[in-house]
Amino acid sequence: MLKYLAKRLGRSFITLIIILTIVFVLMRQMPIEGYFPNFDKMTQEQIQNGLKLMGMDKPMIVQLFNFFKGLFLKGDLGTSRIYRNNVAVTEILGPKLPVSIKLGSLALIVALLVGLPLGTVMAKYKNKLPDHLGTAFIVFIEAVPAAVYYLFIQLYGTQWLHIKLIFDINDWKAWILPVFSLSLGNIAYYAMWLRRYMVDEMTKDYVQLAKIKGVSSTGIMFKHVFRNAFVPMAQYIPTSFLNTVVGSIYIESLYSVPGMGGLLVDVVKKQDNNMVQGIVLVFACVGVVGLVFGDLLMVLLDPRISLGSKGGHR
Amino acid sequence: MQEKILSIENLSVRFSLRGRILHAIRQVSLDVYKGETLVIVGESGCGKSVLNKNLIGLLDSNGFIDNGSIKYYGAKPDAKNPDLYGEDEKGTYADLAKFKKEKDWLKIRGQEICMILQDPMTSLNPLKTIGAQIAEAISLHQGKKGKEAKEAALQIMRDVRIDDPERRYKQYPHEFSGGMRQRVVIAIAIACNPKILICDEPTTALDVTIQAQVLSLIRELKEKYKLTVIFITHDLGVVANIADRVAVMYAGDIIEIGMVEEIFYQPKHPYTWALLSSLPQLGVKGEDLFSIKGTPPNLFAEVKGDAFAPRNPQALKIDFEELPPYFTVSPTHKARTWLLDERAPKVEPPEVIRSLNSEGGAANGK
Repeated sequence: MLKYLAKRLGRSFITLIIILTIVFVLMRQMPIEGYFPNFDKMTQEQIQNGLKLMGMDKPMIVQLFNFFKGLFLKGDLGTSRIYRNNVAVTEILGPKLPVSIKLGSLALIVALLVGLPLGTVMAKYKNKLPDHLGTAFIVFIEAVPAAVYYLFIQLYGTQWLHIKLIFDINDWKAWILPVFSLSLGNIAYYAMWLRRYMVDEMTKDYVQLAKIKGVSSTGIMFKHVFRNAFVPMAQYIPTSFLNTVVGSIYIESLYSVPGMGGLLVDVVKKQDNNMVQGIVLVFACVGVVGLVFGDLLMVLLDPRISLGSKGGHR
Repeated sequence: MQEKILSIENLSVRFSLRGRILHAIRQVSLDVYKGETLVIVGESGCGKSVLNKNLIGLLDSNGFIDNGSIKYYGAKPDAKNPDLYGEDEKGTYADLAKFKKEKDWLKIRGQEICMILQDPMTSLNPLKTIGAQIAEAISLHQGKKGKEAKEAALQIMRDVRIDDPERRYKQYPHEFSGGMRQRVVIAIAIACNPKILICDEPTTALDVTIQAQVLSLIRELKEKYKLTVIFITHDLGVVANIADRVAVMYAGDIIEIGMVEEIFYQPKHPYTWALLSSLPQLGVKGEDLFSIKGTPPNLFAEVKGDAFAPRNPQALKIDFEELPPYFTVSPTHKARTWLLDERAPKVEPPEVIRSLNSEGGAANGK
């Protein structure tokens, strides 16, 4: 198990290097006009000077080497050039990252705490009122553009809770609406799939045997079906955490949350290379660790899956 | 006369399927005696499994009982639901045909009547240890918890001959072979401590050597735990191996019932003749094996007369018109065929059946 984990993390590391390299090279294929707002009026010399300042006058391979050298030896991701001139990328991301992670984690926890029971109840009362209500909710969330109900939640939610429209990081009440809004999509998602998997599981023979044994239908739901239905979903959870963090662009701008949700798009547009690399590194780390974590979760839940040993023992 | 434990009277079960009604069990009456092994034989789709699912309340949701009663003479009456219980000359009974709510069924399932399913590969929860699954049944029905439940589970695992139970207790179903899994399923059933054990083709999914082991295990456990066994199969070899009594089902009805010797050596119903004639062991070298021509009747339509008549080359005219009553052959043997009526012409059973008959007279055994 430990050996497997070490191997897996080693591979993840290589994946990260590859991702960073690709992003690094791609960013440098952008037209150089993009780096200078007043490109038309600049002389050739000024342009060359500007490029030199960014270290872009050297051959690509040297630039790449310098980047990784800085990253591994000093944890240096370079400085931002346009977003906030001459401020270290780590310094910009430093305070934003925890906010986004906290927002994403809270939203995920809420989604699990609400979505899983909802799915269970829907499966238990399949084709009855709770199921229909749940389905209506899911269809609404999936079909209506999120922007619409996000706005409504902000407008009426702030009134109802008597809080300001704008986010305040130190007021716990201000977290409620962004977290809730952000979790809605995942609530629908978890409820829908858990219901589906549970209904699937309930037709299996072992459920029949449990009934014959005399286990009540509630007991069957919780002791037998839930865990079995949860296994195929477990792998998705870390990934969905990532999606939540990245996908919080709209929420963060709506409430002016000082997170990093919308940052990536912003800095790509501005061709702020070092910022792009920094953010990509963070997201890629979360993604890669998420995948490893998802697999570990599966192993914990399903004894038939064993990592490491080849072929397992079936 | 033995003590009755279960008495099915005029049971009729229908299914609504795509707006049509299928009459799956057509007025079946059947008595089960304490401590016997009753085997129900019949071809696929004759209603063997449906009949037994009624005993445990697991009829599919589109099926319903529209007539008849299932009297179970083992249960203690529940004061809260007096209408589910009754009393007759044999004592108090629970009428399982009236059971609707899950809460009521929980008093029957497992602790009174338990069942072993056909396919051991799928009947265990893949994510729970064998031990936990057996112990669950014990804690539900024997009131034992924790260590005590584990001890009892280990004992039952020894009873069903699972080697090294201490180690096996912690293993998962995928670490067991098919035969071993069926032993685990049997262990779970035994752990419920039931009075009636229904075995729904428990050996069909197993290969022949394992089949024999599982059958002898069931026989042994039946003695040890004083079980009444209802065994469903379409394998006549299994019938000969395990049965005390045999009920032959055809198209949702029991057409002949008797002691195993009576059914094998003096069958009376043409369908039983045909069934026995199709045993491959009775085939003559060089000739085609016997098979019953035609298909079972369509149960969407009302069956008139003897359901087997259209497939019976020797059917009488009345077979197509009126349902024959049961004719008593011996105190333990009755058959639903007009051939036993005194007005009926003499129809000889096929040659193979007659030879079985004489063999039976000589050997008089299985």
